[in-house]
Amino acid sequence: MTAATANRTHRLSPARRRDAIFALTLVLPGLAWFLAFNAYPAAYSFWISFHDYKLIGPSPFVGFKNYVRVFSDPVVLIALRNTLVYALISVSGQLVAGLSLALLVNQPFKFAKPFRVIYYFPVVASWVVVSLIFSFLFHSEGLVNYVFSDLLRLYPAHRAWLNDAATALVAISILGIWKGAGWSMLIYLAALQGIPVELEEAARVDGAGPWHVTRFVTIPMLRPTTMFITVMLTIGAFQAFIQFFIMTAGGPNHQTEVFLSYMYNQAFTFLDFGYSSAIAFVLAVLIVAISFIQMRYFRDRS
Amino acid sequence: MSKALAVLGITLALAVASGARAADPVTISFWHTYNSDSNENKTLTEKVIPAFEKANPGIKVDAQVIPYPDFRQKLLTSIAGGTAPDLARLDIIWSPEFAAIGALEKLDAMPNFMRLKASVFKGPLSTNFWNGGYYGLPLDTNTQVMLYNVDQLKAANISPPRTMTQLKAALTKLQKKQGDKATGWGFVVPGPYNWNLLPWIWSNGGDIVSKDYKRASGYLNGPKTVATIQMLYDWFKAGLIAPTLAGAGLGSWEGVGAGQYSMTQDGPWAYPALKAQYKDVNIAHALFPSGSAGSISVVGGENIAMFKGAKNKDAAWKFLQFMLSPSAQMMMAPTGQIPVINAALKDPFIVNHPYYGLYLTQLKTAKARTPIPQYAKMEDIVQGAYADIFAGKATVKAALDAAALKVDDLLK
Repeated sequence: MTAATANRTHRLSPARRRDAIFALTLVLPGLAWFLAFNAYPAAYSFWISFHDYKLIGPSPFVGFKNYVRVFSDPVVLIALRNTLVYALISVSGQLVAGLSLALLVNQPFKFAKPFRVIYYFPVVASWVVVSLIFSFLFHSEGLVNYVFSDLLRLYPAHRAWLNDAATALVAISILGIWKGAGWSMLIYLAALQGIPVELEEAARVDGAGPWHVTRFVTIPMLRPTTMFITVMLTIGAFQAFIQFFIMTAGGPNHQTEVFLSYMYNQAFTFLDFGYSSAIAFVLAVLIVAISFIQMRYFRDRS
Repeated sequence: MSKALAVLGITLALAVASGARAADPVTISFWHTYNSDSNENKTLTEKVIPAFEKANPGIKVDAQVIPYPDFRQKLLTSIAGGTAPDLARLDIIWSPEFAAIGALEKLDAMPNFMRLKASVFKGPLSTNFWNGGYYGLPLDTNTQVMLYNVDQLKAANISPPRTMTQLKAALTKLQKKQGDKATGWGFVVPGPYNWNLLPWIWSNGGDIVSKDYKRASGYLNGPKTVATIQMLYDWFKAGLIAPTLAGAGLGSWEGVGAGQYSMTQDGPWAYPALKAQYKDVNIAHALFPSGSAGSISVVGGENIAMFKGAKNKDAAWKFLQFMLSPSAQMMMAPTGQIPVINAALKDPFIVNHPYYGLYLTQLKTAKARTPIPQYAKMEDIVQGAYADIFAGKATVKAALDAAALKVDDLLK
């Protein structure tokens, strides 16, 4: 983008040229930031992934050894399983909850606007804070057990929800859905307001009830939005870290590890920076592949 | 604008000139993990450092608080970037690891080192030894003893158990139930980590690695270690000790504060913290219960180490020596930092302290966790085995057999 801008300045009038220089100055800080804090670390990390990285002194080149380890490490399989399960539950949950909320607050009733704000609030709340709150809720002496075991008596003994992979994944997915539903709601809401009223009216004139209008007019019209939300949320779910790191730290015995929590532990607990970087790049390839498949799927269907 | 620049220029010139006049104008950096609003930090910055700076004009100490969870990450990043501090207070289990990556300065050849080495406790000192040299000196020490709820033991008409056999009998008496539901436990082991389980294993004659740190097979899965963990698992299953070991139930402090747990194991920081939060709970200390091998607890604490990249090694060494002087050690002692120098044993503050004496007695037989660079990985493997055992996912023997093989690989 900046290269193109620079080339064009040769043939521009002095006024346009000043504008271009002005635009370039505006872009520069962001570009410098991106190069210094995104591009350079990523490139450096790629280099590290081919070395037995030492903090001090020379790091021997090890070729693909770190990548071979990724594909033979049983914990990576656990992390893959957990990441996929978390992505599946939390993305579909956020899509359904987001669409339902959007349809709800799109109705012309009096308090629709305050509710939009309320549903959006978890999105801007800090991940650290809400992860801590949810770990208290799901603690064996927390509110969830109090309500379901002590009050409703659904099961006798308190459960340590976060100490078992299956229940911990459900608990963390619930957090993900609660925290992210407001974002999908907002995007869906914008899309809903872009659907021409005539389409829905025409369907109604043809005798369709509210359910049929939603099912056969509104939802198909939202397809591009659904694709956008699905791709973005899936990328986000694959990069889930804070909620896992705070609520279970990958434990017990790595059973609730996801890619990024395992990567973090390899680097900062075991000082295995080469392996950690290799995990990061395997994850990057995985995310690109899945996003590509998703976009193909939505394009073929539309 | 130009006036301001001129003023700035003159100020700078004066600063440089006045700096050049002082004898030894250096600032050394010291990183630690005392909480910023803690008594430890207050004493360090308001008493210890001023006393040092007064005695050593020309040396300034820039002490920086780094929260414990961020400490490793921050230190590793700064080592990689060549901006490590001159000195740091390190958890004793990190010393061999940082020495092995070449971040720490070997101290053996420093002036006065032999005298300093002879003045400190041997157990804590040993955690600084790696590859034929000392890469730090102990700064403070601690260990775990038993803490108990005086009123609950009195009500059950038992005296604090001194042996594992007495403990078992006490657990049965202290257990409380409402119908099928357990509501009170005699003892809480705060979690399935080496720090908490090693005192049980060692006191019962077991170990987790050989004396030369070369092998775990036959130790981690040796008969005495297996029997000890099996005993704890059986107690946990019978509801005699708290479910905290399996990641459930209240944490040890909360449970002791709520009166759910009658006894626990912990370090010297626990009593003041419990007293501050739960004023009505009447807590006292006792030695860790003895097993067949005696009462053998685990050594904790911190070392003070110098970094290879230190810019002012002479000044840093002066501050390090000062931190081990009787005056600095006794200034820090009231804040919960147990001194590491032999001279402290006769100090009236220690002699008259309500429970430091007990900790020092416990320290006489206490052992350090395996001081090897691979400790973080070893802890992870062993912790995984403990977690599987107390979650009921594997038998004690099977889990420890598998873990021993993995640790063997690591120690090769």
